[in-house]
Amino acid sequence: MDLCDKCGNPQIIIKKKQSGQMLCQECFIKSTNEKVLKDIRRQKLIEKGDKVLVALSGGKDSVMVLDILNNLRKRRIIDLMAVTIDEGIGGYREDGVRIAALNAERIGVNHKIVSFKEYIGHTLDDIMADSVDRNACTYCGVFRRWILNQVAREEGANKIATGHNLDDETQSILMNYLEGNIQNLTRIGVKSQSNYEGFTVKIKPLREIPEKETALYAIARNLPVHLAGCPYAGDSFRAKIGTFLKQISKDHPTIMYSTLRGFDKIKPVLKEEFSKTVPMEVCQDCGEPSTGKICKACSFRRLWD
Amino acid sequence: MEVTVIIGEDEKKLDVDEGKTVRNLLQMIEIPVETVVVKKNKAIIIEEEPLEDGDIIEVIRVIYGG
Ligand SMILES: [Zn+2]
Ligand SMILES: [Zn+2]
Repeated sequence: MDLCDKCGNPQIIIKKKQSGQMLCQECFIKSTNEKVLKDIRRQKLIEKGDKVLVALSGGKDSVMVLDILNNLRKRRIIDLMAVTIDEGIGGYREDGVRIAALNAERIGVNHKIVSFKEYIGHTLDDIMADSVDRNACTYCGVFRRWILNQVAREEGANKIATGHNLDDETQSILMNYLEGNIQNLTRIGVKSQSNYEGFTVKIKPLREIPEKETALYAIARNLPVHLAGCPYAGDSFRAKIGTFLKQISKDHPTIMYSTLRGFDKIKPVLKEEFSKTVPMEVCQDCGEPSTGKICKACSFRRLWD
Repeated sequence: MEVTVIIGEDEKKLDVDEGKTVRNLLQMIEIPVETVVVKKNKAIIIEEEPLEDGDIIEVIRVIYGG
């Protein structure tokens, strides 16, 4: 008979393939919370007095980040708020925004909803209707980062916490490696370095939690969660790599951890060897930090004017 | 024996053989086990959980493109 490793409860909700550990609902929630808080301490992601802005989509990962960081808020270690970006994806984002708001309300944190429409003048649906050459994730990622950075500054937040999980992170590592994008590889990590004061530091508290466990956490905690898949994610390179990693993890359950560990070991060497210290400038159009005269977001915006 | 399977808005009754588990059921309806969380009679369970006649199984899709 399977029993919880911590308390002996026969009602277990997870049997971890990577470690063999078995946990009941209560112990899974507790041990996951402890693991994430320990990762935050060990990697110095958060310091006392930080104002942390959670990029809250309403999906399982960001909802979990907000729930766990709320522990630090309750203990008055940090100030916490949430921002939801409405990209303008008809039939999909509306539910996410509503569910995000429920989560912020539940714990009583300040919640701001901002949209592509108000910040860049177009919804993602509009952009995609006119676009032939790029996939949605390219635009979406660039604009989301651009908007988040502005909102963080407006709100006086010094950290942006995102819901990136172990699966997301190993996907990024593998994608950039396979594409030979060594420059991009040097920027992957649990905490962004801001060598320019206009950039807010980004942290990924769930970087060592497998995607399956973030989902299980949200459901076990009974958090309102938006579980639909983005209609634009479909056939992206990321989706293919994600499928491959999940497939191979069935027979090699520790593969994502070893990919991550190996990468973190080799990263200092990569940085030393390949990271360009590009002088940071200020974008002529928007005033955001940029590696050229015009930032990526504004170069896209110019295409439509 | 018969179990009720709920997936999103969809609810159906399925005939399964005695001694089958949640994993067998998911294989039967062709849903990859690594993309779902499953509840039996409202409680979260693991894929090795045996099925009994009259169980209500809720399959929650949590991972897309998996
Ligand atoms: Zn327990
Ligand atoms: Zn700009």
